[in-house]
Amino acid sequence: MTQRNSRPSVLGFKELLVLAVLFASFSTFEHSHGQSAEAEGKDAPIFERDVLPILEQNCLKCHGEKVRKGDLDQRRVSLLLKGGERGPALVKGSAEDSLLFQLISEGSMPPNKEPKLSEAEIDLIRRWIDSGALADGKTEDHPGDVAQVTEREVLETILRVKCIVCHGKRIQEAGFSLRTREDLLTGGESGPAVVPGKPDESLLLKRIDNGHPTNELQNEYFVRAITSEEIEKLRQWIVSGAPPMPSEVVAREWDETLAMGRGEDSLVSEEDRKFWSFQPPQRPPAPEVDHKESVRTPIDAFLLKKMEAKGLKFSPEAERVVLMRRAYLDLTGLPPEPREVEAYLKDDSSDAYEQLIDRLLASPHYGERWGQHWLDAAGYADSEGGVGGDHPREHAYRYRDYVIRSLNADKPYDQFLLEQMAGDELFDYKVLENPTSDQIDSLVATGFLRMTPDSTYSHDVNFIPDRLNVVADMVEMFSSSVMGMTMACARCHNHKFDPIPQRDYYRFSAIFRTAYDPYDWLLPKALGGGFQKRQPPQRFLSIEGWKVEEKNAPVQEEIQALEKDLEKKAGPLREHLFEEKLAQLPEAVREDLRKASETPEENRGALEKYLVERFMPSLLHAEIEELKERSEDFRQEADKLQAAIEEAKKKLEPEPKIRALYDMGGEPTSTYVLKRGEPFKLGAMVLPGVPSVLSERITPYEVNKPPWTTDTSGRRLALARWLTQDNHPLTGRVMINRIWQHHFQKGLVATPGNFGHTGLRPSHPQLLDWMTTEFVRQGWSIKAMHKLIMTSAAYRQSSQIDQSSMEADPDNELLSRFPLRRMDAETIRDSMLKVAGRLDSQLFGPPDDVVVKADGEVEESRPPGKSSRRSIYVQHRRSTPLTLLEAFDFPRVVPNCLMRRESNVSTQALQLMNDDRIRETSRFFAGRVMDAVGSIVENQVDRVYLAALSRPPAPEEKKLGVEAIEDFTQHWLKEIEKEVPPEPMQSKARWLALASLCHTVLNSPDFIYID
Amino acid sequence: MHSNCCQCRFKSSRVQQNGLSRRDFFARVGDGVYGAALAYMLGGDLLFPNPAMAAAGHRKVYDLKPRSSHFEPKAKAVIQLFMAGGPSQVDLFDPKPLLEKYAGKPPSRELANDILFISASGGFMPSPFTFAKHGQSGMEISELMPYLAKHVDDIALIRSMFTTSFTHGPGTSLMHTGAGLHGRPTMGAWTTYALGSVNQNLPAYVVLAEPPGLPTTENWSCGWLPPVYQGTRLRAEGAPIPNLKSPEDVPETVLKSERALLRRLADSHRDQRPGHADLEARIANYELAARMQLSATDALDVSKESEETREMYGFNEEVTASYGRSCLMARRLVEQGVRFVQVFIKHGIWDTHSALETALRDCCNRTDKPVGALLTDLKQRGLLDSTLIVWGGEFGRLPLSQLNPEDKEAGRDHGPTGFSVWLAGGGIRGGTVYGATDDIGYKAVENRVSVPDFHATILHQLGLDHEKLVYNHNGLDERLTGVEPARIVKEILA
Repeated sequence: MTQRNSRPSVLGFKELLVLAVLFASFSTFEHSHGQSAEAEGKDAPIFERDVLPILEQNCLKCHGEKVRKGDLDQRRVSLLLKGGERGPALVKGSAEDSLLFQLISEGSMPPNKEPKLSEAEIDLIRRWIDSGALADGKTEDHPGDVAQVTEREVLETILRVKCIVCHGKRIQEAGFSLRTREDLLTGGESGPAVVPGKPDESLLLKRIDNGHPTNELQNEYFVRAITSEEIEKLRQWIVSGAPPMPSEVVAREWDETLAMGRGEDSLVSEEDRKFWSFQPPQRPPAPEVDHKESVRTPIDAFLLKKMEAKGLKFSPEAERVVLMRRAYLDLTGLPPEPREVEAYLKDDSSDAYEQLIDRLLASPHYGERWGQHWLDAAGYADSEGGVGGDHPREHAYRYRDYVIRSLNADKPYDQFLLEQMAGDELFDYKVLENPTSDQIDSLVATGFLRMTPDSTYSHDVNFIPDRLNVVADMVEMFSSSVMGMTMACARCHNHKFDPIPQRDYYRFSAIFRTAYDPYDWLLPKALGGGFQKRQPPQRFLSIEGWKVEEKNAPVQEEIQALEKDLEKKAGPLREHLFEEKLAQLPEAVREDLRKASETPEENRGALEKYLVERFMPSLLHAEIEELKERSEDFRQEADKLQAAIEEAKKKLEPEPKIRALYDMGGEPTSTYVLKRGEPFKLGAMVLPGVPSVLSERITPYEVNKPPWTTDTSGRRLALARWLTQDNHPLTGRVMINRIWQHHFQKGLVATPGNFGHTGLRPSHPQLLDWMTTEFVRQGWSIKAMHKLIMTSAAYRQSSQIDQSSMEADPDNELLSRFPLRRMDAETIRDSMLKVAGRLDSQLFGPPDDVVVKADGEVEESRPPGKSSRRSIYVQHRRSTPLTLLEAFDFPRVVPNCLMRRESNVSTQALQLMNDDRIRETSRFFAGRVMDAVGSIVENQVDRVYLAALSRPPAPEEKKLGVEAIEDFTQHWLKEIEKEVPPEPMQSKARWLALASLCHTVLNSPDFIYID
Repeated sequence: MHSNCCQCRFKSSRVQQNGLSRRDFFARVGDGVYGAALAYMLGGDLLFPNPAMAAAGHRKVYDLKPRSSHFEPKAKAVIQLFMAGGPSQVDLFDPKPLLEKYAGKPPSRELANDILFISASGGFMPSPFTFAKHGQSGMEISELMPYLAKHVDDIALIRSMFTTSFTHGPGTSLMHTGAGLHGRPTMGAWTTYALGSVNQNLPAYVVLAEPPGLPTTENWSCGWLPPVYQGTRLRAEGAPIPNLKSPEDVPETVLKSERALLRRLADSHRDQRPGHADLEARIANYELAARMQLSATDALDVSKESEETREMYGFNEEVTASYGRSCLMARRLVEQGVRFVQVFIKHGIWDTHSALETALRDCCNRTDKPVGALLTDLKQRGLLDSTLIVWGGEFGRLPLSQLNPEDKEAGRDHGPTGFSVWLAGGGIRGGTVYGATDDIGYKAVENRVSVPDFHATILHQLGLDHEKLVYNHNGLDERLTGVEPARIVKEILA
């Protein structure tokens, strides 16, 4: 990680050093911080005498005692060595590697128009650093700051990184832990690990010098070997008496940690908190408009107000069938059945449309459609991600099913979030004997926080930096999807545009530390590779009370009965065979073997055991197959029974594992600000907290340990409670915006993941706030919001563009018409399957596999003749999405997707025109049409239009369709007549001709676009 | 630190709102509302470039029309010869006589610590191959590459590349996209996004791979750039593009009637919905799809080449025929205006963990002659000046031997800290050797070149400033070279 961005440099001191030691058999590393030859010259510059005056003149104004920009104070050598947000400013002996020199020499410091340093001054500083950065020490009046090696350095940057995987909380090999100084002094079975002042008596050093941990251990424990430099640091610390951190330093820092994000704050001002999205929403009254008659819901009033200012009004209401198709595809992602179209057209009740919306909201397919929107935001996939591997992510589908179920049940959004953030902390699940399905669901819900790419099951990418990346992806997904904040920007430095200090990023990350601890990691799946000696713990939760065993018990009984039956039938044959085989053995062993086989296992002597092991397998095992060879009667019976056993086994419920996120109990490792985001550059310690800019008029984040008998920190529960308070500035707004976006193609805030300064302001701020407060008022009911939106005049408009709307609202900013949209990827695939009668509409369960064909095309693997499932149930591999879906902008979730593209490219044409599967689908479609309406061509055309486009054909369309079928038939006949087929030629040609019409209609814009 | 953080450079999107007015937009693409649709006729992609512009009411055309570069380019096209597996620098380009002296000696603790996964490695291993000076420049090249040796005065050799990934998957992705993870655009995608293409009947960004050499899709993906910039894989046999041809069981007469009917339906659908530019665009895309079939087939038809040319590329020998075909196709594509061609080799052949001597010899036998032919051919057609050739893998190899228990002969393990790549044509100063590794060829120590430096240099030759080539993704201005500064390796430029 740190290497990736290391600056190219000329042959530096470090490289020379590496070369120097490459071949030498060295014993110490004393020279690593030594001084080069130049340093010994008498004229080497001295900090206080030569350098400080330059800094005072040019730099201390911003990097001094009072102002410490970038957290950097340059008044002393020790402070330069300590550095600021961007790491140490000084590397003794190497100007090239010293940030101080880099920045002044390239002229980026002093910044902007401040006078730059002169060549002579820059050269002096270079010489000073290269000669070892000498100082006379007069400025060093804070001995606590200059201790060569501190306790914290030893514990946090060496032992925590390299040792606690075996000597920590979870595992304490040889009976000791290396987490605290006290642990080191106490030691374990063999005595103290550290004896202050006596490196030679300190077991810690002895063991490490012995090559522990070694390179070989990294495959098992994901720990890099300890370096000579680190050994030297440990030695120095022990030599200096293994001092603890000075208590006044600890106290001061603790105070700073506690004060973070509270009260007056130089990083987040009152002014910052005034930004629109950081203020709780206020409910405005619906505005007065001129055309009251066009207002169906308050939404319309807000929209109309802005339109009227430009002399616009809503477009006329869309035609009945158009609106029906729009509503079906919007809420379920599937077109209506022909009979549903016909019934709706006959329904002349005044609230037929409202009833239709209610029916669609009650459809189980609603959850599949809107569940996918949420899964995009969560970054759901059925694979782990990671370049090269991208292994399937087992059990992830339970979370997908949870989302579908929750939406279908109209689970209030606050509850929905609560479960996904802290489902494990809502009840004492560890001691619960009979969890309800709701309780199991809340554990499954936490899968939300496990959805980001995670390849730490691999040997190559399971080190601390990799784990930190997983957590960072999760924070990015979470903050963008739930809070509309670009929190990820603050991982390496304070956010450049929003008031999110870096410390708030790490305070926020600390909330998840009890579940996602990079130093106490749970693997996403079993470690692959096979050469490890140890299988690290995994993150699956197994629920005993899932009652799978109970549910499976009758099936198991059935299987056992069948097996018993089989055994009974095999009995006589087997005995016969046993005798036969025995007869072939040397006479000497026959009787003993017979006796041994009749003796129960526990009573067998050594000889008997030997005999059984040596001969029995060949006598007894795999014999059902063997017996079948010998008796045809038995074969028939056995085949039947074995088939029945296989069938019964399919009824067994799958392994009850949940890909959950849960509090691991106990104290997690401390969280620190990571300077420049680098894994081992620790800044201040932080406690869990939320962005301090979000504090006006809401209840603060406060952690309370839940009163369960098993330990859980309550950190995430507190986050969930904080986020779901009714007047939270972001939670409701972000969700309302998402709902709006999926109905109208574009959110009221067009940057759904960024409600900050660089995001766009809401197009209708009052409407957004009215909707948000209405959402809360209606108990966070998502379905109520759909109904509210879909019954509005805005939603019911036609998508036709008229002249005035084109001129005054060219880009439909004011929503003066309904946006014409292309179907999204899943809607195209699912609708085609539905129309052709090829859709298996079964809900839930493990995803269907995909296969990558030799030419790189990705298809679902489906046995011939079997229907396909909806796209949401086809395996979502991050690396290999279905080619058809990808062509139509199915997203690759890295880590999530908040808004899909809607592209229009020629590969889409190739895909729909020429793909074998779509051709096949068209033939099924034609077959179903003929089944439904018979062979009269006019009726066939009617049916094709009704099924695919949810409307009857216009007269000219019907004429065109009929003519086309006749034309196609003639062409097909000519083709068929080239060879004499078994089928009747006329009807085969008519069927294929109809399929050609179906194919053309599925390719037509009437099908692909939604008015 | 984290390569996917380009947040640092994300500018206020309001700048963009104001930067382009609706009038400007239509003025650029044609007249009136159908202007956008006209743009499509050249094979484009119309969508919201970013939420900011969408909300501000500006739609932007993403197409493959030729666009001007930031400054005068040296190269018009790139052929990237990607050498999957990690070619061994000390055996091919970077002679290290000192290894003889330390042959068989184990590495020091510091070196061992520095190398990741050293457990299977043995002592230092000198190269079994000899080097000689070639050309006027006297560049040293291994005996394994006699054809390349004739071109040393055309190539610039970088001996000081380094990367940060020591495994193939992330390393390869890093080389193509600048990041060892899924989802970012490749150099080819960035290039076509910036420059478009002069040939509208062929994809602008083509991927050629000998089977089974096609790497995972992230290495030719458009990431979050619009899909029109995705690499298109052209196959050497059969239909060059998947779904380019209709299923064979549908007679041409039927297909023709289907197309005619579709056109009538689409025209009537569009006529009933005036003002929706997407609809015209979609019709144009169906027309383009039909044209592409002919052009792509023709571009790849190597039978049109002379016997002499075919022989030069190695068509007549089994060992070179496959890679020779890819190289010749690459030339034909560039000749017809394709912007970026990625040539992938049989899967990971340079990954010489064992039997170094025979394995490396095989790799060079397969590729050296075709690569030499490509350089000769481009030069004699006057195309080398405007075509940038880039040769290299995802990393190099260690100067140590690797001897697994089951192997009889030693190989070398991955070495990301220092390796060699070369470039030729397109404004590169031939006969240049740049940078150096340490005395044992382990680590680049002099004039180190990072992957972002390498990318910045390639873009520079195409007339592109890597800091200006940005795309707004999720509100952030992203770029190929990432957050940290990258340097153009000017020393290798003519």
